[in-house]
Amino acid sequence: MGYEALDFYEVDSLLSDEERMVRDMVRDWVDKEVIPNIENACREGVFPDEWRAALGEMGVLGAPLKGYDCPGLSYTAYGVICRELERGDSGLRSFASVQGSLAMYPIWDFGSEEQKNHYLPKMTSGEWIGCFGLTEPDYGSNPGDMITRAEEMDDHYLLNGAKMWITNGTIADLAVVWAKLNGVIRGFIVEKNDPGFSAPEMKGKHSLKASVTSELVFQDCKIPKDRILPGVKGLRGPFSCLNNARFGISWGAVGAAQSCFHSAKDYAMSRIQFDHPIASYQLVQNKLAWMLREITKAQLLAYHLGKMKDVGEWIPEHISLAKMNNVDVALEIARVARDIHGANGILDEYPVMRHMANLESVKTYEGTHDIHNLILGRHITGIQSFTREI
Amino acid sequence: MNIAVLLKQVPDTTAKITISNGKVDENNVSKWSMSPYDEYALESGLQLKEVTGGSLIAITCGPERTKKMLTDAAAVGADKLIHISEDKVLDSTQVQKLLAATVEKSGAEVVLCGKQAADTNSGSTGPGVAEILNAVCVSMVSEVSINENNFISTRPSNSGAEKVSSNGISVFTFDKGISELRRPNVRGIMMAKKKTIETIKPEEIGLEIENSDRITLQSQNSPPEKEPGQIFEGVENIPEIVSKLRNEANVI
Ligand SMILES: Cc1cc2nc3c(=O)[nH]c(=O)nc-3n(C[C@H](O)[C@H](O)[C@H](O)COP(=O)(O)OP(=O)(O)OC[C@H]3O[C@@H](n4cnc5c(N)ncnc54)[C@H](O)[C@@H]3O)c2cc1C
Repeated sequence: MGYEALDFYEVDSLLSDEERMVRDMVRDWVDKEVIPNIENACREGVFPDEWRAALGEMGVLGAPLKGYDCPGLSYTAYGVICRELERGDSGLRSFASVQGSLAMYPIWDFGSEEQKNHYLPKMTSGEWIGCFGLTEPDYGSNPGDMITRAEEMDDHYLLNGAKMWITNGTIADLAVVWAKLNGVIRGFIVEKNDPGFSAPEMKGKHSLKASVTSELVFQDCKIPKDRILPGVKGLRGPFSCLNNARFGISWGAVGAAQSCFHSAKDYAMSRIQFDHPIASYQLVQNKLAWMLREITKAQLLAYHLGKMKDVGEWIPEHISLAKMNNVDVALEIARVARDIHGANGILDEYPVMRHMANLESVKTYEGTHDIHNLILGRHITGIQSFTREI
Repeated sequence: MNIAVLLKQVPDTTAKITISNGKVDENNVSKWSMSPYDEYALESGLQLKEVTGGSLIAITCGPERTKKMLTDAAAVGADKLIHISEDKVLDSTQVQKLLAATVEKSGAEVVLCGKQAADTNSGSTGPGVAEILNAVCVSMVSEVSINENNFISTRPSNSGAEKVSSNGISVFTFDKGISELRRPNVRGIMMAKKKTIETIKPEEIGLEIENSDRITLQSQNSPPEKEPGQIFEGVENIPEIVSKLRNEANVI
């Protein structure tokens, strides 16, 4: 039987025809091209290049951006795309999130007209891959204290420092790098052949194995003057990118959870123990009912947030709540699904353990679970508790 | 050149089919899709259009839900969408009449369709439409191209494949073609959304359609459950397996 996405409250009936067609297109592609190949990609630790090309051909990269050949879809459609991709694999969704929300978006919002015309058409077509360098070895949740710096020289900028955990880094044609210029965070576009720049891959991940994760190293890296993003200063730059990516993740997590539910339900119906399908036992039904409940709530959160994004009435805290909640429940659903599969749950014949391991990364990146709690805590109380005098 | 492609919406091959009161319960079909052989016809039509220019007209006859399939066809490149709207229970001949009249009205010079629909598998539509149009009909083709004024189609034959040349208005029914239907993309989807679907009522093409009294579908039932497979382990079972293959399965 084919994949039937769990949609208990028929939330997808609220989508527009166009959003549904985009959903079907991506879902069909994931069924045909991703699911049959994902375990191999994970085993080899590669992001298949055909996936880059297909995402470009489908025209889903930078989904909600308008102009410069970009798709110009709704944010809700972008969410749906993330959900369908992550039903396949979180690494695949990560690729699309980074390309669209973290690399294209800052150029689209803060770039010069020349930068937009130069980069965006080739990025939406998938010809050029982008990455986003914010995190450093010593500055993860606290990027504001980053040490990567830029110096203004006569006819170029000089970058020094290192970024870590950068999705797509090694395969990227360009990196949007956040660095301090005279103490102020600015965005720079670094191209892969710029002198003094290298992007070695980080190996040995147990999670997001089909996604490339890299260091970015800048040793007296020289970039032309026209590669600074003119439109933004300070943390607002990287944070506005993150808002969009996190929004997509809140949808993506639903896809991973739907995949785990689908597998767990099928397995429970067919696995016989003590003479009956395990699905006939109350403890197992309780687990499935809990999954149904949490997925339904997560779908409603994601959908409503999509509508808020589409009308432009949202605050970052709304996104924090959805990212935090949906990834949290998806991870727990993956763990329970793994449990329902018994020993089979650890095999790559089933998607559950892969989703589970992937979601551990998703819980950490784009603001850790607890950083989002702190964001909400500050929103509720007006008191920031990220740091204090010790 | 105007190219007509006849499309039928059928329950998706992965959708669960339930029977209630001896009939397939259409309300319970979770997913409707374009019939797979029609997809090959559509892809071939799109390729013909790319070579010859002109316009691809996607035609379907069926209930309201089938319009979605026409929009899907537009997303991959169909230029004109025609929905023949008729709620009565039709038999194959009536459907063929409606389709043929619509093709005629559209001015198409070539008609492509699947060799059979994935739900009814009756395989009569293409030949029936050709008969009414007094057109050439080549069935079970995998490929159609154009060479000067002739259509060249490829179909299997006893000894391999044969190429058939035809001219004048021709109907081709597709078996599995050489290329799968292309995937839509976002740009196609956005254009498709803006495309209007022309709805045709039988009386507008000069046809009076009554509920068919010549053919009635008496009942439908699910295929019988497959018997569970037999598993043998160990060399000592070889004689028994051989005897079963010889006497029960009749394969050796
Ligand atoms: C697979 C993967 C891909 C990634 N891709 C990218 C990318 O493309 N670009 C990029 O820039 N970054 C990327 N990251 C980095 C990611 O954003 C960071 O890992 C994340 O921000 C957390 O930083 P950290 O790992 O240094 O953890 P830390 O910040 O050291 O956090 C460790 C723990 O301490 C907790 N903690 C931290 N501060 C506080 C506090 N004030 N109060 C309470 N608890 C606190 C955290 O919640 C967490 O549990 C990626 C990470 C992974 C795993």
